[in-house]
Amino acid sequence: MSRAAPQPVRRRLTPRQAQRVAQAVLWAMMALTVATLAFIVIYVLRKGLPYVTWTFLSQPPTDSGREGGVLPIAVGTLAVTALGVALATPLGLGTAIYLTEYTAEGRMTRVIRFGADCLAGVPSIIFGLFGFVFFVITLGFGWSILAGGLTLAFMILPTIIRTSEEAIRAVPQSHREVALSLGASKWESIYKVVVPTGLPGIVTGIILGVGRSISETAAVIFTAGSSLSHVVPTSVFDGTRTLSVHFYQLAREGISAEKAYATASVLVIAILAINVTAYALMERFMKRFR
Amino acid sequence: MSDPSATPVPPAAAAKVEIDGLTVCFGGNCVARDVTLDIPEHSVHAWIGPAGSGKTSLLRTINLLSIEVDRAKITGDIRLDGKSVLDGKLERSEVRRKIGMVFAAPQPLPRSIYENLVFGPKLAGKRNRAELDQLVESSLKTAQLWDEVKDRLDKSALALSGGQQQRLCIARTIALDPEVILLDEPCSGLDPISTLKIEEMMQSLKDHFTWVIVTNNTKQAARVGDRTAFFLLGEMVEEGPTEKLFTSPSDSRTGEYIEGRFG
Repeated sequence: MSRAAPQPVRRRLTPRQAQRVAQAVLWAMMALTVATLAFIVIYVLRKGLPYVTWTFLSQPPTDSGREGGVLPIAVGTLAVTALGVALATPLGLGTAIYLTEYTAEGRMTRVIRFGADCLAGVPSIIFGLFGFVFFVITLGFGWSILAGGLTLAFMILPTIIRTSEEAIRAVPQSHREVALSLGASKWESIYKVVVPTGLPGIVTGIILGVGRSISETAAVIFTAGSSLSHVVPTSVFDGTRTLSVHFYQLAREGISAEKAYATASVLVIAILAINVTAYALMERFMKRFR
Repeated sequence: MSDPSATPVPPAAAAKVEIDGLTVCFGGNCVARDVTLDIPEHSVHAWIGPAGSGKTSLLRTINLLSIEVDRAKITGDIRLDGKSVLDGKLERSEVRRKIGMVFAAPQPLPRSIYENLVFGPKLAGKRNRAELDQLVESSLKTAQLWDEVKDRLDKSALALSGGQQQRLCIARTIALDPEVILLDEPCSGLDPISTLKIEEMMQSLKDHFTWVIVTNNTKQAARVGDRTAFFLLGEMVEEGPTEKLFTSPSDSRTGEYIEGRFG
């Protein structure tokens, strides 16, 4: 028997080199992501900010949006978003709590989770169609903030359920046991210990929902309408055009590029402001829980 | 000094907790079988035995945690002062306020030291700030932690050392004003000094509480236990005064375990 000569181990990279390459590649990926985001935001703001004046913010649009501002549209957008998030948050959080705390893991919970995941992937225009048929026509709400808000609520519900569920599941089991052992009922252990501890994750889900709602176009065009109003909506039965829809109309119909970018800037700044505020409030609240 | 052989066995002190023919099963797997045991009032009862002997499951059944959290199936009975805790006549939260528990790893809740201590009392309906302040101070003093934390009660409990955290957890249990305190390997992750402090505290508080301690450290059982029970594979092999169990056990398996031949 002849012994095979030991093959020299051929490595293209030493571990140290591989480590350096991996780090460089990961850094590049991160940098590309951040750069793309920054480019979009800066581009929009550079084109739009010069036209965001007090008049733009405080006046209704005139001449199909060629002149004037976006006040009724901005108010309508906030109203639709607030309604959607206000409806979806308790519903989603409640569902998540039920799924994690009150059911044993089994076929039923898997079916619900699978359903929620599928729902999260449904294109928003389908939600728009559903909202149009059900809320606008069948329930007779017409094109309204109410119909838009309800539709958005259903659209963001799966996201809020899944993120809340993950956040609640990540709370250590021992926290629940400690609460019970100190005389808490199951419900007390959930709302005094589990939910506050999981709050950062829950808030992240809500913020994702806010972002999706406020910038949604397809789902609200069918349900809140797209007609341009010159007065600020005062009732949930008033229709409204939202900022994204307004942007879409201004840009697509070639009405006014300046006003389109100004609208986009208002939307971007609003989303940033809402996110920053929400996280700041949460930080403040979480100080008690660490 | 009287001759021990001449005196009759002294009548056992009144049983605080009676475990009567208790079997604890998870699914088809019974981790404790037909355990009958009396825990006398104002004493330290130590439970020893190798891993998987059912001690912790049994302990978690006394305050009903195994039933609610682990979905254990129980037969037999557990009585506190002669009243069953399993028949549902007592609220679970009520049972747990009377039978406090300290877990193996220190489990402070993520909030301030103060909030940890008043968590239980607030749930029990105590709202008076002065009363709560008083309770915080007295339970921390009892757990020998007051001097170390009195200036930072509003700081996070998670910033304390492991030994301090465990004493905080004991103080938190004491703040419930329980009658029985269950300790599930309370010193398993602690340094010898922290362990000593906890053992001393148990000894000095025997007049107030009835202690049940599960321990993997037979020496600890010998140090703190008035009586000791030895468990093996879900069966309670032997129970008796600690000194007797350690010097002349009636079952050969007890002696072998204590001498370290297995487990």
